[in-house]
Amino acid sequence: MLRRPSSRRKSHGEQIALNLVPMMDTFVTLIAFLLYTMVFVVMTHVETPLPTASPTEVAEKLKEKPLQLTVSFRKDETEIWSPFSKIAAKKIPNTPEGTPDVAAIHARLVEVKQQFPNEKQVVLAPTGSTSYDSLVAAMDGIRMLDAIDPPIIVKNAKTGVDEALKLLFPEVIFGNILGND
Amino acid sequence: MPAFRSIRTRRRKRKLNAAFELQLTSLIDVLVIILVFLLKSYQTSMNNLTTVSGLQMPISSSQDEPRDSLQVILTPEGITFEGVRVLDFQQDVASAGASEGTYKLPPEALDEGGKRVVALFNTLVAAREKSELLKQKSPVRDAQGNPLPFDGVLAVTADKRIQYDTLRKIMYTAGAAGFKIFRFTALKKET
Repeated sequence: MLRRPSSRRKSHGEQIALNLVPMMDTFVTLIAFLLYTMVFVVMTHVETPLPTASPTEVAEKLKEKPLQLTVSFRKDETEIWSPFSKIAAKKIPNTPEGTPDVAAIHARLVEVKQQFPNEKQVVLAPTGSTSYDSLVAAMDGIRMLDAIDPPIIVKNAKTGVDEALKLLFPEVIFGNILGND
Repeated sequence: MPAFRSIRTRRRKRKLNAAFELQLTSLIDVLVIILVFLLKSYQTSMNNLTTVSGLQMPISSSQDEPRDSLQVILTPEGITFEGVRVLDFQQDVASAGASEGTYKLPPEALDEGGKRVVALFNTLVAAREKSELLKQKSPVRDAQGNPLPFDGVLAVTADKRIQYDTLRKIMYTAGAAGFKIFRFTALKKET
């Protein structure tokens, strides 16, 4: 008597058809949602406070004689100086395009920061004809530390641990908003 | 009806079904790749800062996330505060029909020796008063039970070609209206 053929042999050729329609529905909905909420332009901001000058503050400053690091844009050059002569003033010529040489300004400010690691503020005094693009580029050069810059180590006052600074001079103040020059 | 179908028709029908079997694997592959790409570039941001077409914004390497605040936009045509046109820039013969604006403020729109923009000042003062009123009505209070102070933050979005002279007048006006912190909006530099 012949035995019944194995059912495994029969089922070998059958293919399982996956129902992919619900998955595709989900995918299409997700893609539509993500495309709708996608951000094509990533924005950032550069913050600057309005300068304030009260007579008492000015009197105190004159007593203390702080660094008050100032970056002044001129027609053909940029000068980095301190009104109280805490550092040697340096004049940096503009680029051939007539814009401030941000790389040279940044390099000089790194040197100053190494001398005064706890200083955070820079007074920026651009000329009236300075473009907004140059201003933002200069503010970046003043505020940010590049990866290739030498590390500037400062002791954290709270923890007492030495820490490498992440920003150069984070507070950039426009010194001539109230003036006419 | 199906009972009367001929053998030939039945065979043809079977062949037709076999030909229309969809191969979805490659389509799903593409969808998965798109999905991964979109998920990677997806970011949640609650700010509602707007830009204007034709505005060439500067590029900054700042890593600060833009936060919600009142916004002034300097377009080539004029000054806009929170989507409402406050003042038109001066147009001259040379700039007529040009895509670039003059960004010059009309002299009659200025006071205090040409430093303050009157229309913008009035708008900003009204915005500050409204904000202060809303903070007074708000149940959110500080530790002493007083209403939260006006934050005085103003986002400034401007074309990269605009000159500091114009920008200074805007900042002076905003400072006179009680805004103490400016946030210059820029495009984030890709690292």
